[in-house]
Amino acid sequence: MTQPLHKRESLWFAAVAFLLVILLPLADAFGIIDHFTLNTWGKYLCYAILAISVDLLWGYTGLLSLGQALFFSLGGYMFGMYLLLMIGKMGQYKSDLPDFMVFLGHTQLPSFWKPFYYFPFAALMVVLLPGLLSSVFGYLAFRSRIKGVYFSILTQALTYGAALMFFRNDMTMGGNNGFTDFRFVLGYDVRSPGTKRGLFIATAVLLLGVYALCRWLTKTKFGLIQRAVRDSENRVLFSGYAAANYKLFVFVLSGVIAALGGALYVPQVGIINPSEMTTEKSLEAVVWVAVGGRGTLVGPVIGAISVNALKSYATRAFPDLWPLLMGTMFILIVLFMPKGIVGLPTQLHHYWNHWRHHRKPSPEEEEATAELTTKPTSAE
Amino acid sequence: MRGATAPDAAQASIRATIDQALTSTDSAEQTKLIRSLSVTGGPYAAQILALWREGNIFLYKAPDGKKIPVTLVETKDAQGLQAAIKVIDGTPLTGPDGKPISLKFSLLESAETDASLRKAIKDVNDMAALADPDVKLRIRAVQSVANEQNPAKLPALEARLTLEQDPLVKRTIHESIALITLKTGEMKQRIAACVELGNLGSIPSQDALKATVTSATKEGQADLAKAADTALSQIASHVTFVNTIGTMFRGLSLGSILLVVAIGLAITFGLMGVINMAHGELLVVGAYTTYVVQCIFGPGLAISPFGFSFSIPGFHATGAAYDAYFILALPFSFIMAALVGVALERCVIRFLYSRPLESLLATWGVSLLLQQLFRLTFGSNNVQVDSPSWLSGNWTVNDILFGWNRVFVIVFAVLIIVLTWLVLNKTPLGLLIRAVMQKRDMAACMGVRTERVNMLTFGFGSGLAGLAGAFLSQVGNVGPSLGQSYIVDSFMTVVVGGVGNIIGTVISALGIGIVDQSLQQILGNPVLGKILVLGAIILFLQWKPQGLFVTKSRSLES
Amino acid sequence: MNKFLLSAEGLNKSFSGFKAINNLSFYLETGELRTVIGPNGAGKTSFLDLITGRTKPDTGTLNFENNDLLPMNEYEIYRLGIGRKFQTPTVYTDHTVFENLYLSLGGSRGVWNSIFTRIKPEQKQRIEEVLEIIKLTEKAQWKAGALAHGQKQWLEIGMLLAQNAKLLLVDEPAAGMTDEETHRTGELLLSLAGKHTIVVIEHDMTFVRQISKNGRVTVLHQGSVLCEGSVDYVQSNEKVVEVYLGRKAKTV
Repeated sequence: MTQPLHKRESLWFAAVAFLLVILLPLADAFGIIDHFTLNTWGKYLCYAILAISVDLLWGYTGLLSLGQALFFSLGGYMFGMYLLLMIGKMGQYKSDLPDFMVFLGHTQLPSFWKPFYYFPFAALMVVLLPGLLSSVFGYLAFRSRIKGVYFSILTQALTYGAALMFFRNDMTMGGNNGFTDFRFVLGYDVRSPGTKRGLFIATAVLLLGVYALCRWLTKTKFGLIQRAVRDSENRVLFSGYAAANYKLFVFVLSGVIAALGGALYVPQVGIINPSEMTTEKSLEAVVWVAVGGRGTLVGPVIGAISVNALKSYATRAFPDLWPLLMGTMFILIVLFMPKGIVGLPTQLHHYWNHWRHHRKPSPEEEEATAELTTKPTSAE
Repeated sequence: MRGATAPDAAQASIRATIDQALTSTDSAEQTKLIRSLSVTGGPYAAQILALWREGNIFLYKAPDGKKIPVTLVETKDAQGLQAAIKVIDGTPLTGPDGKPISLKFSLLESAETDASLRKAIKDVNDMAALADPDVKLRIRAVQSVANEQNPAKLPALEARLTLEQDPLVKRTIHESIALITLKTGEMKQRIAACVELGNLGSIPSQDALKATVTSATKEGQADLAKAADTALSQIASHVTFVNTIGTMFRGLSLGSILLVVAIGLAITFGLMGVINMAHGELLVVGAYTTYVVQCIFGPGLAISPFGFSFSIPGFHATGAAYDAYFILALPFSFIMAALVGVALERCVIRFLYSRPLESLLATWGVSLLLQQLFRLTFGSNNVQVDSPSWLSGNWTVNDILFGWNRVFVIVFAVLIIVLTWLVLNKTPLGLLIRAVMQKRDMAACMGVRTERVNMLTFGFGSGLAGLAGAFLSQVGNVGPSLGQSYIVDSFMTVVVGGVGNIIGTVISALGIGIVDQSLQQILGNPVLGKILVLGAIILFLQWKPQGLFVTKSRSLES
Repeated sequence: MNKFLLSAEGLNKSFSGFKAINNLSFYLETGELRTVIGPNGAGKTSFLDLITGRTKPDTGTLNFENNDLLPMNEYEIYRLGIGRKFQTPTVYTDHTVFENLYLSLGGSRGVWNSIFTRIKPEQKQRIEEVLEIIKLTEKAQWKAGALAHGQKQWLEIGMLLAQNAKLLLVDEPAAGMTDEETHRTGELLLSLAGKHTIVVIEHDMTFVRQISKNGRVTVLHQGSVLCEGSVDYVQSNEKVVEVYLGRKAKTV
């Protein structure tokens, strides 16, 4: 049941696209907003991409994956390998090898690193490796019908195992320091405002693309089945659909989306290390989705940007209290705002109706209730 | 004073021999007399001989011209005189009038020693160490004799062997005798020594045996080479055995840690179906409670959460009384964690029973909150929790090391399982818990206050987590993020065991522990082992998606 | 190979010691409308679970049109043309009535197909036909969760119709319906008989009498077939009266 995007929605989409791809970069170029702000927003947009990938799984398919941060950082690592090789001899040790390898006493580039000199290969690996990992893991998990919280726990274990692996120095992936000190991307200085602007635009385009893709996908019959799996997976089986295949497709797709976001995140923040691939990071992304409103595509974007903007402010203004605030906020949202910010107007409207209905009983009714409530006490 | 416990008769004879040696003028006779003590003398003789060697035994010329060997007491009187003690019987030196005689140090003549005498004394001392009452020191002495490779000391070792009661020391003496013979004996004896070492499975003698193989092959002593080779392979299989048992034991203790940590989760997650991501933080509550109780027993505690500083005075207990803190900390840890758990259930979880994914998220929020509270209260650094002295030390049985703390871990796990089993199966609460968990609606119809049972069940599971925390404080560091390192493991344990099944959790915890330790042993790398275990668990769930023990039901919701 | 559409032989299934299905054999001819009755716990729903692949029997064989059902899973069995309506209405509550039927229409079940396919005019027409039959045309754009209980039951039957299943397994279609709705459900099922093969599980004896006018009734008891025959035969069977109809036999 593919439908053309709603007209008003298209207008909104165009407006946001114009703002992100043209207006903000122009404002940055002319010094209206500073480079730091643009860079920070570039980071938020990467988070928004990650959040969409989480929502595609959780909000639309009912799969709470705690492994999205893993795919995000895998994408980052793959691209980071390319960026690290592009440093060339400009590293601390003035060697062809990346600094950490010199430090660990390597004299030769491990062979699996060599193809990463080529941008197209690195770009391919950004998609391929997370895609492969999510395919294998998803195949195993869905085939044996691991679902609900078991799926969450298993993805948590996957993330944990992968992080342990990347922490090891003999992986030759930088150990716990990861990759940093990047210099060039495609021959441009990664620290120059111009390159940063380019990266911002690339991120914005990716986000818009991902949004449009997911918007389209969720409106197809696939989208219907996706939500059917979320609401009643058993019924889907009894409607003749191999639910596992649908889940696998969504899992791989969102793994790849997260990885793309991660790949653009790394050059903008300038570092990637294994502490990015933890369950907590995945759960943080889940928080953004919950705050914004799951089961919608705007929700994750709003959530990712607003929570992170708040976080940037709070970690500077009251660093000790931020975790308390975030924990509390999360508990309250899960308990009282299941539809997040996006669902808030509907929720408030509902409460308003409820309140008005209960607030204005007719005088007779009021008397009746009063009698009812007083009766038991007087009887005692 | 070591050796003071030796029988008086023996002491008297030792003193007499030394006295005789001291008064003798013939150096050869002196040496012979002293050497006669090397087997029987023991620490008692060593002590007196040490005085001789250091020049602290004096020859007092009695009025009748006889030389009486004496020692001086340390305290000097007003005239600078020191009371003298006779070496022969340890009684004060008396004059003809029967009054004690005090002597002037500077006027006395020390009993002399020459090189051969000093050597003899040293040997007696070495041999004396063989009789040291401390088993560890005794073993060390035997080993140092073996290292000397001196066949002259064989008689002493053999003599000691007849007296020795401790099996471990006996074994070490056998080992040492064989090692010395292997080096210095005749061919027949050397081969016999190889056989002996092989039978003993003597791990420290591997180098000597290898050297023997090399030299024997070079010199064409085929029999000896073969015997040494056989012994080596015997020892190698003993090493494998020791390693295997050691790995099993470590695996069992790691499994017990997992079990203790996961048992609370087996209740809250397994029985109630609540995904409590704050389970790790409940462990930390227990661990910090232990810390606080310890501080109260000791120097007291000063904390300053949110800038309000206050301090709790301590009892400044020491020794056994201080060690007893841990016993008291256990119930407190249980209670504190149970209270936190009950609060958590009342405030958050009870609204989310039908929404497990949401309860996962909300409890993660709780986990963040609690971690930060710990950080603000106790600081970000680890706090020091002392193990009671009765938890340090170890047993070595047949070369296998059994650390007491690991043994404690296992015993504690058994106790917790028994406690859980008793509560679930032998108490009214347990009956209600099982009823509600199996058929909530039915139980509610029967008048069970399911809300209250939920609360108590969750409190019980949380309390068990608190106990686990008290326990973890004894085997690792206590810090705000302690819980995070156990959360994945504990969920894995429960999932593998089969949700809703305590026995399953027990078997899965021990299984994971043993597999983990075996992989570590094989791969020689703990991280790689851990990663493989996680991989193995994922594959295991392919084979048995519902864990080891499936709780079969006709329920259609599953 | 054999003349039966569905044949089950020697089925056994136990749940932690409780024998839900006990040496059950059951044969169904093409075009039949079979009613299955039996007291609570007789194994009626468990039997449907076995046919549709929800659970696997401990022993026994299950054949549908010469296909061995045992190695197949739920959706493979569905794709052979076996549709099921569950005891409690199971529809996609967050989807509209129209979407519920759309998801049940025959055709490819593949992932790629689902992404690139668009609804075809004939599919739309079929959905409208079904909506007509189940009398939900006006509520086509309602969320299924907002329907009344009886309407959900009908929607689920409609989903079977949309599927165009050869064998319809209908578990208590009249539960929670008014008398009038029940009667209409009976008529609907009767009108489908012949075109489809139908197994109806039911408690309501009035309803059973209505739909089994021409069909056979199978009585299950403790997981096996107690007796089989016309509704009159079954109702007068002593064993049946004893275990199930007992008191009811006089009142019906």
